[in-house]
Amino acid sequence: MSTNTITKQKERRGFGFYARIYRKILVQDLKSKMSYRADFVISTIGMIMTNLSGFVTFLILFKNFPSINGWDYHHMLFLYGFSLIALTPVQCFFDNNWNLRFQVQSGDFIKYCFRPINVFFYFMSEVFDVKGLGQLAFGVGTLVYAWVNIGIPVTPLVILKLLLFLLTASLFMIAIMNAAAATCFWIVGSGYVMVIMFRFKDFAKYPSNIFHGVFRILFTFVIPIAFVAYYPSLAILESDNIPVLTWCAPALGVLFFYLSYKFWMLGVRKYDFTGS
Amino acid sequence: MNLKRHLALTRAGIMESLQYRLGTAVTLFANLIYLVLVYFLWKAIYASAGTDVVNGMTFTDTMIYLILATALFNFLEMFVVWDMSRSIQSGKIILDLLKPMNFRTYTFWSYSGSHVVLFALTFVPTFIVVMIVTNGAIPMGINLLYFVIATVFALIVNFSMEMIVATICLYTESTWGINIVKETIVLLLSGASIPLAFFPEVFRQVVEYLPFRAVYDIPLTILLEKNGTDTLEGLLPMFGLQLAWCVILTLAGVLFWNHSVRKITVNGG
Repeated sequence: MSTNTITKQKERRGFGFYARIYRKILVQDLKSKMSYRADFVISTIGMIMTNLSGFVTFLILFKNFPSINGWDYHHMLFLYGFSLIALTPVQCFFDNNWNLRFQVQSGDFIKYCFRPINVFFYFMSEVFDVKGLGQLAFGVGTLVYAWVNIGIPVTPLVILKLLLFLLTASLFMIAIMNAAAATCFWIVGSGYVMVIMFRFKDFAKYPSNIFHGVFRILFTFVIPIAFVAYYPSLAILESDNIPVLTWCAPALGVLFFYLSYKFWMLGVRKYDFTGS
Repeated sequence: MNLKRHLALTRAGIMESLQYRLGTAVTLFANLIYLVLVYFLWKAIYASAGTDVVNGMTFTDTMIYLILATALFNFLEMFVVWDMSRSIQSGKIILDLLKPMNFRTYTFWSYSGSHVVLFALTFVPTFIVVMIVTNGAIPMGINLLYFVIATVFALIVNFSMEMIVATICLYTESTWGINIVKETIVLLLSGASIPLAFFPEVFRQVVEYLPFRAVYDIPLTILLEKNGTDTLEGLLPMFGLQLAWCVILTLAGVLFWNHSVRKITVNGG
């Protein structure tokens, strides 16, 4: 292939190019999933069960305690629904991160480096987790219920704001999981890092002003759990008194995502160099 | 029964789990941070409640209960389901089945090593920290001995549940799904995520007779001397329930396994 054609090809690789590839790989993934139908059904039931049990815990908590740090039942539900929706993209589109360490260890990961497309994109596009959609449905239901009960007015501006901040919030969790998964390029068997981060996410659904001191800084700027629901949702809940950190959230989300992507790709380069 | 053979498996397990020192250290550290989060959450919850005692549980009681439940969870966590599905896929299970030892016994004792290590590395440090921080809120006496006995029962009940779930996986070829269903049910109904004392009355009466409670709630209730477990009359029903579930689940597990083991298909194994 002459240099000329390569440049030409590169020029054509815009958003459309990647969207087309994503669709093709996605269809293959869904086909292969449907061939294990029992597994698919049971996994979906499992996902619904986790969400249900989260709700039961929540209800039991509020049966005993009227509010948490000034947050009443409906505001907490709002936060809960918000966090469920914000956690959907990481579940649906970035689930392959969980397989990264196995692929790196076995050496199968090398196949991603040989394709003439972005390694990160190709790796993530291989798995679309349908179970995440169940979580999305739960989240939307909860959010709408809380929304109606709090009585937030529905205007195009508020909806636009909601979508922007949901997108922002989801970037933070994606960044956390990317970075956690990428540790496997340096540490053998680093699965526990992902497990730990995944456990921390359970605290995203609580107002993060319950944390104090060092831990507040830790969970705002280092492991940005506070941005998965708390700060972004304040844009809707306290629309006349929005804190500075909420305004910064979109920019910070992009920054965190970019850094995690760079970290991930740094791991890939390190992997290349070992020649394994 | 040759105890020496079994203890050899325990020793191998101890050595194996000490291999991953970095992982253990990081997990320990992360657990501490996790516990701090639990602490902040419940401090805020109790601060908003306005009263010190809710459903017979003070803030300190709840903290000790939840922290030790997390510590117990880390120490009791088994990966029987994952390991079995992997060894079926790789065909290794054939070698395990051919071993001159009952498969169930073999599995139990090969996990015992990691239990010993995790008990020493996660449970004991957590327990000591809680003891110092709460300044004598945990009663120190014969209840510690009862707690250890209850924990051994809890271990057996937990193992039996794991084995039954692992056997179900032989049929479904689904590991993640079955495992998450099991984990969710156990964590909720055993009181590990929210103390059983907070459950609504009707719900609690049902949950009290289920086996899940035998894993976390009973050992912790005994340790904290709640629900009259400081007397023999209060203690015996607890142990009775645990023992009953040990027997029932072990029997059910053995029968189910013997019936299902013939069905194992190893592709190209």
